[in-house]
Amino acid sequence: MASANDSKWQKDAADQNFDYMFKLLIIGNSSVGKTSFLFRYADDSFTSAFVSTVGIDFKVKTVFRQDKRVKLQIWDTAGQERYPTITTAYYRGAMGFLLMYDITNEESFNAVQDWCTQIKTYSWDNAQVVLVGNKCDLEDERVVSTERGKQLADQLGLEFFETSAKENINVKAVFERLVDIICDKMSESLDADPTLVNNTTKSTRLTENPNMNSSGCSC
Amino acid sequence: MGEFVSSGGVDRWVCPNDRQLSLRAKLGTGWSVHTNRGGSFGRPDQLSLEEQEQILGVIGRAEYLEGVEQERIGRLVDKLDNMKKNAIGNGNSQCVLCGDEFKLLGASPTYCDDCAKAVCSKCGVDTFNCNRQPLWLCKICAETREVWKRSGAWFFKGIPKYILPEKKAESGKYPVRMRPSPRGSIKGRPAPGAGGVSRDSYTWHKARGSASTASYGESSDQESSESSEEDFPMGKVKAKKSVDSGNPASSPKSDNISIGSSASRNAPHGNHQTYTRAESKTSITSATYMGGQLSATESSRGDDLHDETDSERSSTYAFSREGSTRSVGKASLGTEEELDNIDMAINRYVKASHAVDEEQLSSPDSEGTSLGLLEFSLLYDSVNNALHCTITRAKGLKAMDSNGLSDPYVKLHLLPGANKSTKLRTKTIHKTLNPEWNESLTYYGITEEDMIRKTLRLSVLDEDAFGFDFIGEFRLPLKRIKPHQTKNFSVYLEKQLPMEKDDDLIQIRGKLLLSLRYATAKQTLFVRVMRCAELAAMDSNGYSDPYVKVYLKPDKDKKSKYKTMVKKRTLNPEFNEEFQYEIRHNELAKKTLEITVWDKDIGRTNDFIGGVQLGINSKGERLKHWFDTLKNPDREYRRWHVLSAELTPEVYT
Repeated sequence: MASANDSKWQKDAADQNFDYMFKLLIIGNSSVGKTSFLFRYADDSFTSAFVSTVGIDFKVKTVFRQDKRVKLQIWDTAGQERYPTITTAYYRGAMGFLLMYDITNEESFNAVQDWCTQIKTYSWDNAQVVLVGNKCDLEDERVVSTERGKQLADQLGLEFFETSAKENINVKAVFERLVDIICDKMSESLDADPTLVNNTTKSTRLTENPNMNSSGCSC
Repeated sequence: MGEFVSSGGVDRWVCPNDRQLSLRAKLGTGWSVHTNRGGSFGRPDQLSLEEQEQILGVIGRAEYLEGVEQERIGRLVDKLDNMKKNAIGNGNSQCVLCGDEFKLLGASPTYCDDCAKAVCSKCGVDTFNCNRQPLWLCKICAETREVWKRSGAWFFKGIPKYILPEKKAESGKYPVRMRPSPRGSIKGRPAPGAGGVSRDSYTWHKARGSASTASYGESSDQESSESSEEDFPMGKVKAKKSVDSGNPASSPKSDNISIGSSASRNAPHGNHQTYTRAESKTSITSATYMGGQLSATESSRGDDLHDETDSERSSTYAFSREGSTRSVGKASLGTEEELDNIDMAINRYVKASHAVDEEQLSSPDSEGTSLGLLEFSLLYDSVNNALHCTITRAKGLKAMDSNGLSDPYVKLHLLPGANKSTKLRTKTIHKTLNPEWNESLTYYGITEEDMIRKTLRLSVLDEDAFGFDFIGEFRLPLKRIKPHQTKNFSVYLEKQLPMEKDDDLIQIRGKLLLSLRYATAKQTLFVRVMRCAELAAMDSNGYSDPYVKVYLKPDKDKKSKYKTMVKKRTLNPEFNEEFQYEIRHNELAKKTLEITVWDKDIGRTNDFIGGVQLGINSKGERLKHWFDTLKNPDREYRRWHVLSAELTPEVYT
């Protein structure tokens, strides 16, 4: 699998012509279409055949957003429960998550909450998440209404998209939105706390309201 | 658990490590299973060989990418370092970058919004923050922000691992690091293969003190010439680095050569490596880097990753097998080990791509008995003067009790001046050699000076019904911790070192965190006594019962006197009590605020612990605190003050 595209990915990987590198992770139940989604986005290809992802895989793609070239390393994870330790190990490096469910599969929708908890548990706390309802081309088989998707997204404080990897609906939009969100977060975080960047300066800072946390003074 | 222990030395029975136990717990098969037939009870989610191959392939690619990325970040960091080095001004009367003097006539300085240093208009950058408000930054701070964005440091709250461009030439030694030292793994490791972490750190026999001259062993002959001349004072390599000019173009080649040679050299040198220090940053990346090089050569040969990698991989991954087989004895290379490989590879990858620094040191286990491995992380918060110590776990501790186990806990001390006031400890975990504490302990009132001067001593002790046994300790000079950057450590414990007597200890009475604010509307000075730290012990039990008195002097009828509550039996009391002085601003300027800390003794005169005076005649920190409070009313200023044993007599009555 890796060998087939070896030279291609290595070219991608070695490409240094970019400004930022974001690591993204696609998660969600098995067979919601994570791999298809990624293939559509990265290679613009689609196949209906279902091949379960083994553990993990990733693709690299560089996009141009907000005058910056952003290299994306997009991790595709196995939705199956077989590989929990493998997949969760990758949560920590991810700046953004695509939490995906299948609009024709109630169970996958019900699992969103759990996946969210997983993210909270294993990722850095400033990781950004978007909720994605995939397979919106299968309108006839739909069991999760757009409304419910939106509602859940609001409830979880996430942005929401319905997509189709097959029909190439909203695929690019999701990634671009997620990149934008992370970019915004980036500027925010630096402005919010420039001390972080400048922790090398020797000056003692006199801050007005450092919230002293008053625990842990045991003797 | 005792049943396992008694038979610890026998081949067929092995004390399972924590990971195995947790795996088994998930399977619901119970504990009484022959470990050496680990595969026989049918793990439902066994990975087939093919699947493992696939995953390892992906990991290989990821490591390659990570390596490329780390080099990129290395270049960014290097560029920034150079920039900082080339800055010649003092940032006060001169432009911090170009050193141009600001005169009355001519260019007037602007101040950088980040570092607050003076910059001339040529060396500053006009930009916007996220709310489109104008922002004026000196070029260094602008570049720093850029590096933080580009490297992802903004996200991970610290610069991720990187490989400095010049460092490349040295990376040949990294593979050495991955070789297991058979000695280390056989001896003193009661829980074989306790996860990837301990394995990774096998080889690093650190020669304390001599660590400065790195001897890389035969594996990297061609590099050692340039690198061994360098003296590495712990933690300072980065700055020095950029002088020697590695030739990046040829380095990949030399890397591969050394991989080869290190592989052929079959490791049972007891103490080869002696490369310690904050290398961690790069040494952790080693794995990744090498992985990267492997796949790079692979593809340049145009070979299939699957077939070809095998031989290479065996050199990369074999060590885990070696490690586990050796120590387990005859354990079959069943699925458990293979799973471990993957876990480990992942572990390694995850660790390599982890944002925070990790440091792994190992001690010379001169007698060949390991005392155990301790994992902890430190974070210094220079704004709140707090040092957060997270004690994660220990592995393979030496057994102290007759049942072959220990009841370990960790005690922290700050040196010099180890006494009860600087002592923190974790809970005791009973009957284990691989305790998981996951406990955070915090020192308050750690100034930046402390961070330069002091050493953190972590000792692992075995709790007994009466007292304790000493298992091992590790000492870490705090100057190796950068503020606001979590640093992870994984270290081998050492034997107990003698405690040096410390003379200036007697002088140290403790510290006080004080908050001051002058409210103009109310014409009132608010004095908040927040907490004290490291107070001297006045009572025979090794503690004090401290309380704090506040005066605003001169004060004839002692009307200004306030007292806090008494805190019983503590050397680090938290008071958080606020007192008010209604006084006009110009009057206040003539006064001196005197704060004294006392030890409450019932039926006797209370002992004076220490005090501090803030006024126009005080000095240093105290003057600054007072001055700031007066100069900027309605703002709260918090500062730690060192308590002195003597106060100016006329005030101290």
